[in-house]
Amino acid sequence: MKQLFSSLLLAAAVAFFSGCNKNNEAPSSGASTAGNSKPGKKLTIALLPKSKGNAYFISCQKGAQKAASELGDELIFDGPTDTDPAKQNEIVENWITLGVDAIAAACENKEGISTALRKAQSKGIKVITYDADSLPDARTFFVNQATPQGIGYALMDQAAQLCASNANFAIITASLTAANQQEWQKYIEEDRAKNYPNMKMVAVKPCDDLKDKAQSETTALLSTYPNLKLIMAICSPGVPGAAEAVKQAGKAGQVKVIGLGLPNENKMYVHEGVTQAVILWNTMDLGYLTVYAADAVARGNLKPGDTSFKAGSLGTFEIKGDNILLGKPFVFTKENIDQFDF
Amino acid sequence: MNTHKPAWKNVLLAHETILLVVLIAEWIFFDAIGRNFGTYDNTCDILRHSCEIGLLALAMTPVILTGGIDLSVGSLLGLCAILFGKFWRDAHMPIPEAAACTLAVGALAGGVNASLITLLNLPPLIVTLGTFSLFRGLAEAITHGVDTFTDFPSSFLFLGQERWLGIPAQAPVFIGALIFFWWLVHFSTFGRSYRAIGFAPEGTRYAGIPVGRRVAMTYVLAGIVSAIAAIIYTARLGQAKADAGNGYELYAITAVVLGGTSIFGGIGSVYGTLLGVAAIAVLQSGIVHALQPSEMAGMLTGALLILALTASVLPKMISRLRQRKSALRLAKQNT
Amino acid sequence: MRKYFRELSVTGALTLLLLALAIFAPSFYSPQPLLSLAANASVSLVVACGMALVIIAREIDISVGSMFAVCSVCAGLLAAMHWPLAAVIAATILIGAIFGGFNGGLVAGLGLPSIVVTLATMVTWREGLQWLRQGQFVNLPDGVQWFGLSQKSGQWTLVIGALVILVLMALMMKHLSAGRYIYAVGSDAEVARLAGIPPKLTVFLVFVGIGALVGLAAIMNMVQSPQVDPQSGTGMELKVIAAVVVGGVAISGGRGNLWGVFVGLLLLVCVGPALIHLHIEAYWEKAIQGVIILLAVVAEGLRR
Repeated sequence: MKQLFSSLLLAAAVAFFSGCNKNNEAPSSGASTAGNSKPGKKLTIALLPKSKGNAYFISCQKGAQKAASELGDELIFDGPTDTDPAKQNEIVENWITLGVDAIAAACENKEGISTALRKAQSKGIKVITYDADSLPDARTFFVNQATPQGIGYALMDQAAQLCASNANFAIITASLTAANQQEWQKYIEEDRAKNYPNMKMVAVKPCDDLKDKAQSETTALLSTYPNLKLIMAICSPGVPGAAEAVKQAGKAGQVKVIGLGLPNENKMYVHEGVTQAVILWNTMDLGYLTVYAADAVARGNLKPGDTSFKAGSLGTFEIKGDNILLGKPFVFTKENIDQFDF
Repeated sequence: MNTHKPAWKNVLLAHETILLVVLIAEWIFFDAIGRNFGTYDNTCDILRHSCEIGLLALAMTPVILTGGIDLSVGSLLGLCAILFGKFWRDAHMPIPEAAACTLAVGALAGGVNASLITLLNLPPLIVTLGTFSLFRGLAEAITHGVDTFTDFPSSFLFLGQERWLGIPAQAPVFIGALIFFWWLVHFSTFGRSYRAIGFAPEGTRYAGIPVGRRVAMTYVLAGIVSAIAAIIYTARLGQAKADAGNGYELYAITAVVLGGTSIFGGIGSVYGTLLGVAAIAVLQSGIVHALQPSEMAGMLTGALLILALTASVLPKMISRLRQRKSALRLAKQNT
Repeated sequence: MRKYFRELSVTGALTLLLLALAIFAPSFYSPQPLLSLAANASVSLVVACGMALVIIAREIDISVGSMFAVCSVCAGLLAAMHWPLAAVIAATILIGAIFGGFNGGLVAGLGLPSIVVTLATMVTWREGLQWLRQGQFVNLPDGVQWFGLSQKSGQWTLVIGALVILVLMALMMKHLSAGRYIYAVGSDAEVARLAGIPPKLTVFLVFVGIGALVGLAAIMNMVQSPQVDPQSGTGMELKVIAAVVVGGVAISGGRGNLWGVFVGLLLLVCVGPALIHLHIEAYWEKAIQGVIILLAVVAEGLRR
């Protein structure tokens, strides 16, 4: 009896509150008018990282924040704090009901997030992706730091430059299911098979984006494969982890370390000669460009079919199809790594 | 000492009522400070997002009532999700058949837990800790970590993403499960024995109740419900991966305990679990709508859990303090 | 013999694994990588010793991973502020003890169930740290890594240090009254109370103890690399509880010893590298760990 009473009260409360707010939709920055340009109005742009606890995306956010203040827009930055793959979808869906104007997403699960992004598009919210793409029909543009082919080839070419033509190498990746890394691996393999057929990739090990795990996996790899000549870490916490393992095994210089990582996390290893090259792109510029692109798409200034795009102080960028290209991957070495602070 | 409290006081001070008040307060608060929080669209979204965890929490309630626990439900969700994908894509089964096979797998997995716990009399915490690793590990091994299942027919995806007669399509499933578990725990003979088993398993056995079978059934049910949740999850996301449901078991346990069910067993209600799920789901949605970082939701959930636990023991402590005070007074008077 | 069936059986399992490695993957036994593995494992061993005491006392603590992350970041920040290393160590152990005391206060003082309390604190500390640090590494100044010693001396210091703690704690559990109290409270708290043992104080101190050990472990982990990752400690609670249970400590309390925990931890720590050396794919690791836990608990059930 007590439970029946209380549950009726609960049902009544929910009905009352949701009913009386049904007409309270989209008070300020409305999102339901599809494709209208809103010049001069403050837009709300939502930036979604793959996960929040990742310094890579924090540096993107810095650039994004700068762009948002230049444009006079509001920036929301939020993302999953745990490893639940459904979290990105839930956050996007919350943004849909919140009523943002544009969403820029770095996609952990290509197909899964596309479900939510398509829904956003159907409600008139403009969607672009950055860093890691979704399915093409779920977004208008993909702000690509470099093509996956460019990244994969840059890694493989660096590796080949540093090693003999018949060397063995191993890859440390984020998690086995990460879509971005899987694509880069595809192009690494393509480049290897085409141009360096005598080089052999002996193992791929995940480090779950944990530096300590990358370190212990690399230690085991070094003793399992004594002919290993190079470690390629394709996730940013993996590069310092692998470097530390190589250093502790006393093989610095004998076993080369390269990877995709942030300059600040790798400066000491690069200077000590443990890590030979760190490949990345300017992540702050990536965030900056992403927000400018999101703003332009939401205002109707950037449309499918455009071939170039000017983003504030960064200049003009080439658009290839529906990919806005930041540029080529950048190689940080001993000579230039100190010039960067992110 | 007069220990008879008026009936309305019992209702008002009950754990569930306080939680209901907290829930309503959350709603009002986020409606006020959040953007577009209290809309019908958002309410539907809250329902959709909390469906799987709600199902797991419902299934976890009888398990915890009997004094047990099941840490493997999240991993089982992942395993069932990829098996569902495999049945449909690689074994070319039609969706309903694949779903039925997945439910069978869920029941089987629940049966593994059940037999280890009841036949061998092993502690549920460790058995389900082992199956937590094992099920997730099997999911990763079957997919080699990389395989995902996508491109499901839109008639299937309707279940997770669209609305049916105005309410989210998965809501009828959840409501069905809610009615079933409500009946099971509060009205069936099984349900009454669960509390007894939680309070005193030996005594219940002497009273002639087949404790082993009753407890086993709770774990098998949990397995089946995990499979149902896996199917809905796949429909909602449109993708099945080995890491599906990561961390869901802890959410489910949090919701159940928040709702007033004692982790030691014997006390609790399905109604409380429902409120617990609602409180957490509203909090998570509200935080995003209030433009606060998601970490806030986690921290507040943890704080809420501790407050709820403390509130449940506070009356006992206060009455104990009062008893001690009056005993001291009596002792002083008599000297 | 019968009394130590569990500890002997897990030792047997470890011996089998080591034999298999010796035959099929002798590369596992290279000295430097083994030393690195041991130094790494010493961090978990210290926490496992604390967890053994908690479980013997019939409680559980699933917040150790988050406490570890918070202590690691605090230690890193203090070291980066150029505090003397001894002060950093003392401060971090104190911070760990305070977090442990918070758990202990709620469990012992208010009588709340430890699994739920530590579930709540696990989520709260982890999310709070995430919010404050946003994933940023802490770069340590020179002289902190390996306590300022050479790599080999540093690693041996860590390994020997962990073993010393193991031995001291094992002796305490066997010979000091504190140890007896913990076993007594874990077997039957009411009987212990009637026998004059303070159950609440014992439980509180056990939680403070594991907190302090987590702080120490955080230091031991910090000195193994020049950077602190705020995500470190992820999954530690699972690893440590599994090691304790596999090592023969009963989850129902009152039974078990630290030697079994030592062997159990070694077994679980070796599984990951063993897979790599035996050329088994990484995605089998979780399944194998799950099977080991289940075998251990079935063995426990059969013993009874």
